[in-house]
Amino acid sequence: MRAIRRFFAELRDAVVQAAFSLISHKLRAVLTISGIAIGIMTVILIFMVQAGMSSSFARQLSTLGPNTLFVHKWKWGVNGNDWWKYKNRPVVNMMDMRALQQNTTLPVAIAPLVNTQATVNYAGKDVRGVDVRGTTDGYLDATGWQIRRGRFLTALDQEIGANVCIIGADIEDAFFKGQEPLGQQIRVGPNIRCSIVGIFLRKGNAFGQTQDLRVILPISTFMRTFGSKRGLVIAVVAPEGKVRETEDEVTAVMRNARHLAPDQEENFSVNRQDKLLEGFNQMMMATNVTGILVGIITAIVAGIGIMNILLVSVKERTREIGIRRAIGARRATILWQFLCEAVMVAVVGGLVGIALASGGASIIDLISPLPAKVDPRVMLGGVVGSAFLGAAFGLWPALTAALLQPIEALRYE
Amino acid sequence: MALIELEHIVKTYDLGLSKVLALQDIHVRIERGEFVAIVGQSGSGKSTLMNIIGCLDVPTAGRYRLSGRDVSTLSDDQLADVRNLEIGFVFQSFQLLPRASALENVELPLVYRGVSKKERNQRAVEAMKMVGLEERMKHKPAELSGGQRQRVAIARALVTQPSLLLADEPTGNLDSKTGEEIIRLFLDLHARGNTIVLVTHEPKLAARCPRAVRLVDGLVIADGPGREVAAANAEALGAEALAQFQAAERAAQAAQAGAR
Repeated sequence: MRAIRRFFAELRDAVVQAAFSLISHKLRAVLTISGIAIGIMTVILIFMVQAGMSSSFARQLSTLGPNTLFVHKWKWGVNGNDWWKYKNRPVVNMMDMRALQQNTTLPVAIAPLVNTQATVNYAGKDVRGVDVRGTTDGYLDATGWQIRRGRFLTALDQEIGANVCIIGADIEDAFFKGQEPLGQQIRVGPNIRCSIVGIFLRKGNAFGQTQDLRVILPISTFMRTFGSKRGLVIAVVAPEGKVRETEDEVTAVMRNARHLAPDQEENFSVNRQDKLLEGFNQMMMATNVTGILVGIITAIVAGIGIMNILLVSVKERTREIGIRRAIGARRATILWQFLCEAVMVAVVGGLVGIALASGGASIIDLISPLPAKVDPRVMLGGVVGSAFLGAAFGLWPALTAALLQPIEALRYE
Repeated sequence: MALIELEHIVKTYDLGLSKVLALQDIHVRIERGEFVAIVGQSGSGKSTLMNIIGCLDVPTAGRYRLSGRDVSTLSDDQLADVRNLEIGFVFQSFQLLPRASALENVELPLVYRGVSKKERNQRAVEAMKMVGLEERMKHKPAELSGGQRQRVAIARALVTQPSLLLADEPTGNLDSKTGEEIIRLFLDLHARGNTIVLVTHEPKLAARCPRAVRLVDGLVIADGPGREVAAANAEALGAEALAQFQAAERAAQAAQAGAR
């Protein structure tokens, strides 16, 4: 009981003295605290942006499906020095699509994809920046998207270039509050009117952007409206466990369709999302290492600041240490007192840093497509981490204070 | 049982090449309720002796028993507890915490004893009343006069009701009038039953203590009623001052002779 009371009385005393010490040296305290704060903020922001990117990416990937191959002019993930090589390749077109459809045996589903941004109009109301895509009836199987109401495109729609479309949930919300959308006509782009035949199930956000502001047309209709020279991406879904074989088959069929001699390099790429993931992971690793390095450097710089402020404090309060020891303070009491000061400086710095990081996060959230928010666990980690930092770098000065001989400390001028 | 029993206390300081013998063979007993002055010139070892009595330092050899307990063997933490429980210090330069109020200064030893906030306050106020400073409790040390600061220091020493009040040149930084007030306060506290050990170089002060112990070069050379010891000390001081004066004069004459 007595020991507990003593502990709390000493703790209170230590906190009050530490606060006094900081207040009486405002400039010094502010400099040290801002050092810690900027460090903590930087580290939190780096890891926050990184976490935001990888969660967006993961969601994006999950919309693709692990067994899907993408035949594209570009090689995904890595570009770098070969940019011109890829740039000069011929685009993937409907001829390639037809060749794949006719000559492959393994794929479960094949769908061409082409997209653009356009304005959609209904009853005099415009919605800008809509993701308009052209594809065929294989799209649902290739992407895993689902129809909530109505139907999807059919082979017939594609063949005759029917003016029909499937709309995303955001389009439905924008035009058809409490009204039946199926059968209504919307204008897509400058000059075609399409009847709505189906509505997608809501999909949510990826990369901070909605995926539901979307209109899908038969690819023939799309090309008639938006031009036929656009390159396609052809999504090919491999059967479970036969991704490699399917990739080989697709490559062979494509080489054949493009009349490539055996010694000629391919002028197309068969991409897999795990290649994308690989590139992404490499990038994440780099930012991770950067984050950790910045964190370590920051911690050391901030720690030296804390150590400095504490050494000065110990020097200034040497007599006080002597007085306290003379009237009954144990070594541990003195140690705690200075550790308390170190932890206090560090935690105040940490809190300011977290506040700055939260501010930075709202700005990032506002101006970039990344969803940015400081996780409460990160906040807690920031506080605990800065407390540890203070304790670690305050330990040595606090020990020198605790190990002072009472007589020498009392005589100190 | 005597409160303080010093037996064959030796203290040497190791200065690397040479060893300084600060205390040679000190043998002193002080009973409860006594008022003893330890008197001597600077360098006589009186401060070293005070540090040992106050458990701020440990002897190199010999045995020191405080209230019958051998403190020569105690750990650092145990010494801190002995200082808190048994001893009240009064220093020449007051040694108050500048940022704390007078009352908070007086409360501090009770913090290290784990006394509740309410009781701490109550006992600190009592101690402040005892030294006649109940109206200045909220003041910071810087807002008090020298005499008042020393009273706060005495209140802090008294607040734990220690077995021993240990004062090191308590009037050294005060003018003679204020110093006289502090001496009266000590005499008054002695009359109320406190045991006091006072370290001083002033024979005048030692003369007013019932008992004085005189140190020269780390040895006790006189122990008896304050008046007698002080007189002997003054004589010695006088003789030494005369010898120094004569030596200086001889040196000056020699220098003059050399110049001629």
